[in-house]
Amino acid sequence: MGYDSLVSSSGEPSNASTAADERLRRIESVADAALAQLDVEALLAELLDRVRELLAVDTATVLLLDASAQELVVTVALGIEATVRQGLRIPLGKGFAGRVAAEEQPVIIEQVDQSNVMYTVFAEHGVCSLLGVPLLANGTVIGVLHVGTLIPHRFSNDDVRLLQIAAERIVLATQSRRAEVERAAAVVFQRSLLPARLPTVPGLELAAHYVPAGHGEVSGDWYDVFTLPSGWLCIVIGDVVGRGLVAADVMGRLRNALRAYALLGGDPAEVLSRLDQQIQHFEPETMATVLLAMFEPSFERLHLSSAGHPPPLLALPDHPTVLVEVPGDQPIGVPGGLRRRATTIKLPPGGLICFYTDGLVDRRGVSLDVGLEQLRESVLAGPVAALCRKLMARLIGAEGPGDDVAVLAVRRQDSGEVGPLDLVLPALPWSLRDIRLAVRRWLSAVGAGPRAVADLLVAIGEACSNAIEHAYGAGGGNVAIHLELQQPDVLATIRDTGRWRSPNRDDGGRGTLFMRDFSDELHIDHGPGGTNVVIRRHLSRAASG
Amino acid sequence: MTTAHVDSSADNGSIHIYVSGEIDLANAAAVEDEIRTAITHHPSAVSVDLAGLTYMDSAGIRVLYALASRLHALRIVLELIVPLDAPTRRLIELSGFESIAAIRPVRS
Repeated sequence: MGYDSLVSSSGEPSNASTAADERLRRIESVADAALAQLDVEALLAELLDRVRELLAVDTATVLLLDASAQELVVTVALGIEATVRQGLRIPLGKGFAGRVAAEEQPVIIEQVDQSNVMYTVFAEHGVCSLLGVPLLANGTVIGVLHVGTLIPHRFSNDDVRLLQIAAERIVLATQSRRAEVERAAAVVFQRSLLPARLPTVPGLELAAHYVPAGHGEVSGDWYDVFTLPSGWLCIVIGDVVGRGLVAADVMGRLRNALRAYALLGGDPAEVLSRLDQQIQHFEPETMATVLLAMFEPSFERLHLSSAGHPPPLLALPDHPTVLVEVPGDQPIGVPGGLRRRATTIKLPPGGLICFYTDGLVDRRGVSLDVGLEQLRESVLAGPVAALCRKLMARLIGAEGPGDDVAVLAVRRQDSGEVGPLDLVLPALPWSLRDIRLAVRRWLSAVGAGPRAVADLLVAIGEACSNAIEHAYGAGGGNVAIHLELQQPDVLATIRDTGRWRSPNRDDGGRGTLFMRDFSDELHIDHGPGGTNVVIRRHLSRAASG
Repeated sequence: MTTAHVDSSADNGSIHIYVSGEIDLANAAAVEDEIRTAITHHPSAVSVDLAGLTYMDSAGIRVLYALASRLHALRIVLELIVPLDAPTRRLIELSGFESIAAIRPVRS
């Protein structure tokens, strides 16, 4: 190993580097308008070309560190371009570049042979002598820059110094460009993970607002709204510790894992426990606060569990707004916590619940208590979209937040505000369950009594079953359900566009009998265009049918 | 997809069947099969507990009627357990099971 030597990087600047100042300026001029449009790799290629000319060498290569794999990836290579196409990766500490990165020092090899490099790469290209320096950003190795010659060459201290300066310029240029690209990608990525549109849920009003931090860098705030096959509605709000693309990526995985665990059933404490187990095992570096709220299909009650997330606010008409008392269990990803707890609260018609991330209340120059109190005073039971706008205007103001802010408000409509329900589903047996879920939810929203709910479910179910069994042939078709309130009655219309065939079952139309028994009024019209069933049923009284 | 669960147990020549979940057109045939499979030997009595059933319509009644008729012909006593506040109580009452089955709020 006598033919390579380490060179101190702290030597005095020599005359040679002064002479090279002019040429170095070319590397510094990376803010050229022509370069401004280049992506990171094109920018590196342009810079390397300048380095190659500056040092009069044959090859110039940049390898960037893939920190997760602890490998150097050949990103741009001039003179030995094939190494890029082959996706060459060098483990830290192995080969020439691996040694430069591991030692965090310049390394010179005057004569390449099998003992000092990953031989084949350089031998194939006839590279004789090598000089490599680490790419250091804030003292951390982010990659390696090396140059090589095809004829034996003795690299001087000045060459080392020049290459180090070039490395600094490359780091500056690529870091800022990378950060820009990453920031743009993170914003797009995070937006793609937030629901583009909140689901339309009869009986509930939903609105959400998300604002990235003033400096434009995303963090891992997210919210999610989804329904489960059981008819439960889940609302999630969370905040991943970290920033940028990495945080957005973690947030995406948390979101999907939480959805999957919610699908398995259980109360919100169980769902969060499963999520926590998964994160602690597979992503021990991750930490996040999460609040999960699960609304019963009737929306009358919701069950909450908090993994270190700020508590939501509950606003009821004619009541002062309060912070919901949710036990603050340990954040997701914190080992050794106690058993998670769930809380149940009632949400009467007209009530509103407001979820948020800490960016809304934990602001520069404002104590957390003051922030919370401002929020509490601002949240009133009323239209949710207007509330979100008001919170942003009052608490964030014109200068934008210092941290990401996500707000999500849910209001349970008063029975009088609930519009008609319209459903169109394929006339297939599997639609019946979805129809019942939607009808149950709508009836609960308009304040129907339990007896009326049970009766209407059967009457509507029978009408739909008739359409499914008898309206269409093999071609299939749809069944349409329309529910509206005509105080004090519910009017349900079930329509198909098939040609009615009378039931030929041995039960002799028991379904029709039930329809009549479970409604106050029943009209069935068979026409050439299909069948129309109209059911009238009092909201609360026992049926008179 | 509509789901129902059918469990069963046996004692002293009787078979007890517990149906929970929902029954409609989508799963009636499957529920019928499961109930049939639960009646393994020639029991002296069968009880079907509907306390855990949250929804049923004529598709479910059809299943129970077929079962009741079969057991009636075999002179096997059938008891339907339907609590007074069960969602299916009125449907059972309206379906005229009295002649071929005993309807009780709890198991006798």
